[in-house]
Amino acid sequence: MGVARLKKAELYYHKSVHEQIAAAIQETGACQIISSEEENHPRPADVDALISRNDEKLADVRYLSRTLTPHYVDPVPALDRMLGERPEVTMAELKELAESTNLKAVCDKTRALERESGEVKTKLSEARMNSSILSSLEFLPYPLSVVTEGTKTLSGLIGTIKPSNVSGLRAALGDFSKYKDDSELVIAPFNEKENAGDVYVALIYSRKIEEEIREVCAKNGLSLVEIPSSLTGTVDEERERLAGAISELEAKEAEITASIKALAEECVPTVQKLSDYYNSLSARYNGTAMSDETDSVMLTRFWLPSDKADSIRAKIEAISPEVELTLSDPEPDDEPPSMLMNGNMVRPFNILTELYSSPTYRGIDPTPLLAPFFWIFFGMCLGDAGYAIVVFGLIMWVFKKYRKIAPGVKDFITLFLFCSVSTFIYGVISGSFFGNFIDSFLPPLIPVKNALMLVDPMTNPMQVLGISLLLGVIHLMFGLLIAAYDKMRHGEIIDAVGEKISWFLLIVGLCLYGVGLGGMLPPHFVQIGGAMAVIGAVIIFVYAGKGEPNYFKKIINGFLALYGSTSYLGDILSYSRLLALGFGSAVIGMVINLLGGLAADIPYVGWLVAVVVIIGGHIFSIAINILGSFVHPLRLQYVEFFGKFYTGGGTPFTPLTLSQEFVNVKA
Amino acid sequence: MEYLGLSLALFGAALAAALAGIGSAIGIGIAGGAAAGVMTEDPNKFGSCLILQALPGTQGIYGLLIAFFVLNKLGLLGGAGAVALNWNQGLQILASCLPIAVVGWYSAIWQGRTSAASIQMIGKKPEAMGKAIILPAMVETYAVLALLTSILMLMGVQVG
Repeated sequence: MGVARLKKAELYYHKSVHEQIAAAIQETGACQIISSEEENHPRPADVDALISRNDEKLADVRYLSRTLTPHYVDPVPALDRMLGERPEVTMAELKELAESTNLKAVCDKTRALERESGEVKTKLSEARMNSSILSSLEFLPYPLSVVTEGTKTLSGLIGTIKPSNVSGLRAALGDFSKYKDDSELVIAPFNEKENAGDVYVALIYSRKIEEEIREVCAKNGLSLVEIPSSLTGTVDEERERLAGAISELEAKEAEITASIKALAEECVPTVQKLSDYYNSLSARYNGTAMSDETDSVMLTRFWLPSDKADSIRAKIEAISPEVELTLSDPEPDDEPPSMLMNGNMVRPFNILTELYSSPTYRGIDPTPLLAPFFWIFFGMCLGDAGYAIVVFGLIMWVFKKYRKIAPGVKDFITLFLFCSVSTFIYGVISGSFFGNFIDSFLPPLIPVKNALMLVDPMTNPMQVLGISLLLGVIHLMFGLLIAAYDKMRHGEIIDAVGEKISWFLLIVGLCLYGVGLGGMLPPHFVQIGGAMAVIGAVIIFVYAGKGEPNYFKKIINGFLALYGSTSYLGDILSYSRLLALGFGSAVIGMVINLLGGLAADIPYVGWLVAVVVIIGGHIFSIAINILGSFVHPLRLQYVEFFGKFYTGGGTPFTPLTLSQEFVNVKA
Repeated sequence: MEYLGLSLALFGAALAAALAGIGSAIGIGIAGGAAAGVMTEDPNKFGSCLILQALPGTQGIYGLLIAFFVLNKLGLLGGAGAVALNWNQGLQILASCLPIAVVGWYSAIWQGRTSAASIQMIGKKPEAMGKAIILPAMVETYAVLALLTSILMLMGVQVG
């Protein structure tokens, strides 16, 4: 239970076997390499070469994965992949695959296809642009070469102009009437009354007056349109030619896409396997690079869990007789990483601690302490027997169907499996089954439901509010006691009493006093509670003034410390969310049943609508309420509970492992 | 003046559903913008982004819940017909709706901003999801408290 004990290992071995040693360490998946303490420590020379060769392969794999994966349709759904439906391979098989695969050739092929596809795309977009220009030039009766190239004597231009400027342009060009014979103004048909955008005009004129024409055009607001020089025939001819070219290019593009797709189908599974392989090697070599080296001996240091020491020793010593493994306990000035070790009942809750911050190696692991509270709080927030059955059934089905779920994912799902049990229990004792489904649709079962009900948040919410706040007091006081224990463990007994036990006495005393006054406990509890509260308050008052020579300041500090009780009041009231969220799920369920009931009154199809509303509504309700029931109890752990004793701040244990992004790799 | 009580009560229900709903819509909108930004960099973060974006959505649900609570209390759901209500009772129900209406509205907007910041945080540090999800939940506390206040007030109001 708690943070796993680690050993610091120093492993000496002959240089010649460093690859086997590193592979063995990686395959155990339980050793975290410690970087050499010396800054420019002598690195094993051939490791640098191995790393750079491996990096080249990794670059190829990443390029292929980036380029081809978007074209790859995985035959296995993503959810199945996440739940462990992945190929199983061994490192030996991967090595063989890596040796038999010509990555360079695949990369070249992919690059060639990519380049070709780029060229076709450029041509295609050019052709499409030209064809869209042509569609505005239908009015022009002459070959476009007049504009793009001109003849010996004639030149031309094409431009756009506002319809209102057309008459002005005409008038201005009238001055060139002496050249009338060899010039012409062609204007696209337009309707002056409709204010429909610019009009295309073409001008054919003698080369001699080129400059004057352009000047006049600019003055009259004509903006030139660049006609690509590849267009020379008449508009109709060119359009026909372009249409042919476009369909040809499109066919070509489809062909290239199909080849890329085929290549992706063929290569992506291999590329994914190789990605894991080369990433594993990269991690391994970088681990070796952290070792120290002399002429012929290498030294690798790492942390390992003490319970795995023997099996790891046996594995390493089997490689070569020339290895020396020494194990030692962490020195006081070492800061070992922390790994949470909890039994099957608590392990699923590890993630809650890890999401906050790992404990330090010598700190307290809060997981077993928070687990029962989180379990109860989640149950109270979701609080519906029907929802619990759905969640439980779904998770059991997933576990039955998927046998190879990764341990981390499995633990997280198991957390919800556990919590569905508390949800069921609270659902039964609060009489909630898919909201008020029993009252609405299954009246014969009402007596059964009522017989099992212990609390009724609907008619007596104050009762559940009281339970919520009581749980809050227990949770907070438990946190205080843990903090006191932690201080005593480090020999700070005065601080433990002054800062922690005193508050425990004050708050528990006040609660007993209050509850006793309310008549819910025998009367002598009032006296006991009152006495506890007074003792607690006195300790707080005195402790706060400790070390302050000035009596006046002593008293001020004492009162200020007692004023801190408001924060406890806030903390305790925060637990009222347990009532509110449980109430929320129950009422949302009730609303869904109500809507379903109303829908059932629709003639003929009413029952169908009702079924859809009820099933869809409850699925929505489960999803939204699970989110709330996860987040809010978690907040109670992090803010209210951890605030009393836990800060985390440790570094998580990150052993050297095989990369398993796409495949399950066996050693 | 016969129906003034009923009208006041309905006005309360409308405020609860409408204001809290508006707040959630704005909050989710703010968070959604941030989520879209993060996902342009890394589309794989869709799952975490969606969870963080959904957080400011609960206020709208709380408002709806109170609105239904009121309608149910008034006997407007189902065929039973409305209960008789004097203007005093109507005003009491209206008052009971105000905590979730006002706090729901404002807290959802601020929760949306916190969610947006959290989404940007997981954009840079995906491993900080636990902390990212708690920060917006801190804001939601006050919506939960307002919901509780509204429920307790509504339960205390005697009608019929």
